[in-house]
Amino acid sequence: MDLTFSPADEAFRLTARKWLADNVPADRAPYEGQASRDFALAWLARCNEGGWAGIAWPEAYGGRGLPPERLVIWYEEYVRSRAPSVLDCTFVALNHAGPTLIACGNEEQKAFHLPRILSGNSVWCQGFSEPGSGSDLASLSTTAVIDGDELVVNGQKIWTSYADIADYQELLVRTEKGSKRHQGLSWVICDMKAPGITVRPIRNMAGVSHFAEVFYDDVRIPLTNVVGALNDGWRVAMTTLGFERKTAAIGLQLELSVRVEDLILLAQAQPGSAMAERLAELRAETAALRAMTYRTLFRQPATTFDGSLVRLRFAELSQAIHQIAMDILGPDGLVDSHWTHDYLEAYSETIAGGTAEIQRNIIAERILGLPRE
Amino acid sequence: MACDLNQNDEQRQILDAATALLEESFPVSRSLGDDQERIDKLAEFGAFALALDDDLGGTGFTLVEEVLLHVRFGRHIVPAGALAAPVAARIAAELGDNDLAREIATGQIAVSAGILAGDRLRTLDDTKAKLALVFDRRRLELVEIANADGETATGLGQGAELTEFPFVATTRIGASNSASILNVADLLVSAQLLGIAEAARDLAVSYAGMRRQFGKPIGAFQAIKHHCANMAISAEMLSAQLDMAAIAQRDSRDDAAFQTAAARLLAPRVALANARLCIQVHGGIGFSAEADAHRFLKQAHLLRQLGGGAAMLDLASPMAPHR
Ligand SMILES: Cc1cc2nc3c(=O)[nH]c(=O)nc-3n(C[C@H](O)[C@H](O)[C@H](O)COP(=O)(O)OP(=O)(O)OC[C@H]3O[C@@H](n4cnc5c(N)ncnc54)[C@H](O)[C@@H]3O)c2cc1C
Repeated sequence: MDLTFSPADEAFRLTARKWLADNVPADRAPYEGQASRDFALAWLARCNEGGWAGIAWPEAYGGRGLPPERLVIWYEEYVRSRAPSVLDCTFVALNHAGPTLIACGNEEQKAFHLPRILSGNSVWCQGFSEPGSGSDLASLSTTAVIDGDELVVNGQKIWTSYADIADYQELLVRTEKGSKRHQGLSWVICDMKAPGITVRPIRNMAGVSHFAEVFYDDVRIPLTNVVGALNDGWRVAMTTLGFERKTAAIGLQLELSVRVEDLILLAQAQPGSAMAERLAELRAETAALRAMTYRTLFRQPATTFDGSLVRLRFAELSQAIHQIAMDILGPDGLVDSHWTHDYLEAYSETIAGGTAEIQRNIIAERILGLPRE
Repeated sequence: MACDLNQNDEQRQILDAATALLEESFPVSRSLGDDQERIDKLAEFGAFALALDDDLGGTGFTLVEEVLLHVRFGRHIVPAGALAAPVAARIAAELGDNDLAREIATGQIAVSAGILAGDRLRTLDDTKAKLALVFDRRRLELVEIANADGETATGLGQGAELTEFPFVATTRIGASNSASILNVADLLVSAQLLGIAEAARDLAVSYAGMRRQFGKPIGAFQAIKHHCANMAISAEMLSAQLDMAAIAQRDSRDDAAFQTAAARLLAPRVALANARLCIQVHGGIGFSAEADAHRFLKQAHLLRQLGGGAAMLDLASPMAPHR
């Protein structure tokens, strides 16, 4: 891998920079609801008119078929220009629904949906998680039964971002009766305006609603909306998650670099010594360790397992202190001294006498009463 | 050496009584709004006068019991006014106004907790309190806000109510920078933060025992166990240090300022860390406003703005070498 860009790449960068400078909206995106949808779609439509929407999508589907280098350049310029965050209600369509259709959809599905996505005319959401199936997605139980040339869906999804303002949904349902886990699922395009769908927005801890519960009560979906083969939905869903966890993240990750630059400016306006702060913390932590030690020693009646708490706190604090010593010593840390010696010795603290992992199991099981593994 | 960092029976009794009251009046899942009636119940219970002199309404308990009581307050996300009152009463007494001290301690006069932001006073509630206790780094000031025009707004993603006053519009009553009052304030703030850390731990542990994925309670997975164990370690660390500090302050020991500063420095770190882990252990619902996990996080953010900032490296540590 190398990171040199050709003169043509650099020219591309300048074009992107200029376009962004002329077009990025001055307003901040609204947080939720119809206003957030209008804002995001207007911005996407503008990008599309400028030829910047879906630039890595194949030309046949409205993209420019650009290679990853160009995508990277585009996103670098994008975040530097302080353009609206890529994480808005267009995210699902642009970053995983569209790509999933390109990879697994049939020609009718692509011809209908892809142009609508790029031109800023449809919002997608993702209906995978259910109340009983989050991390364990394969246990999902929303069902779809074939009736003529339609599927009839019943069940519930939850945490569906943008469900309240979406036109379509990547819906993962169980189409084979009695099937278990990854078998018998299908990935279906669900029209969010279909009768029988109820969306109940859920407020999040930031005080806004952009996810929701979605209820399906005899919702009828044409069989032609199945993406990939019937009962092969797990494979399609893994394609979706592959996009969601990989390419979609470029813009988000780059955004973080800009955030850090902003943070440095913020910090420069508020001086203070980080090392002094850290030493003050160590003082406080060692004071607390002493208090813990005494309390455990004098506890009546004596208990069996709370030694694990002190023991582990000690081990990790000891390592932290010696790591800071090495930071302070700098090049002198290379010469053997008691600091260096103790620093190296301290690596045993989280291994000898029961590793940190085992101590944590003991605390969780014996003190907190969590189930055994 | 007499060293007892564990609770005795008398302490447990008053805490049990307080807990019963808190469970009734201050459920953690309550909506924002006027908490004044609830706070009045605490005043009736004698919570604000607990460790004051007898002639101020004190009931013969000490700062140690008061600190333990505020740990319970923290667990129930009791508004910061309940922390301002006992500190304000001490300031009034220090200023020589025993009547005012008594009125505050018995809840006849309500006090809000406030912080300075430039030339604005920001109280951490929307109560119609008459007074505000202003936390201004290592200085506390009692002001009257009843006649100042306050503007209430929500903060922290609809998780807090804040009222802003032009500071010049308040009536200044008096200030204190006495070490002992500052220490009391820092101890009570630390105590409430510990309560948050403990409640977040308990909520996470109970959810982990209940929520099932992959056919087991998620608490059976080591990743979740370790999060819970980390919460337990942090809470125990802070709890031990807080007791140490409260005892040192009660007994006017030389290291009282140091021990208190140590507790106050650790408290927000521990409370925030536990609140964050509690959210994480809950998964999606932890991020929603429907579970309580986020409430602990937000209260920790509010409380950590109150006091603190002692110059930890300049204080005499009992363990420092003799120089
Ligand atoms: C802001 C937001 C937006 C979302 N948007 C969508 C969306 O648009 N569409 C959609 O389908 N879903 C969406 N989700 C749902 C998300 O995918 C789930 O929340 C996530 O998969 C976790 O599932 P859960 O919430 O059921 O938590 P659980 O699976 O119950 O997890 C609870 C805790 O247990 C842990 N855990 C679970 N299993 C194990 C294990 N085997 N080992 C160790 N630890 C374990 C988890 O890590 C977590 O800490 C969204 C969630 C959020 C917070």
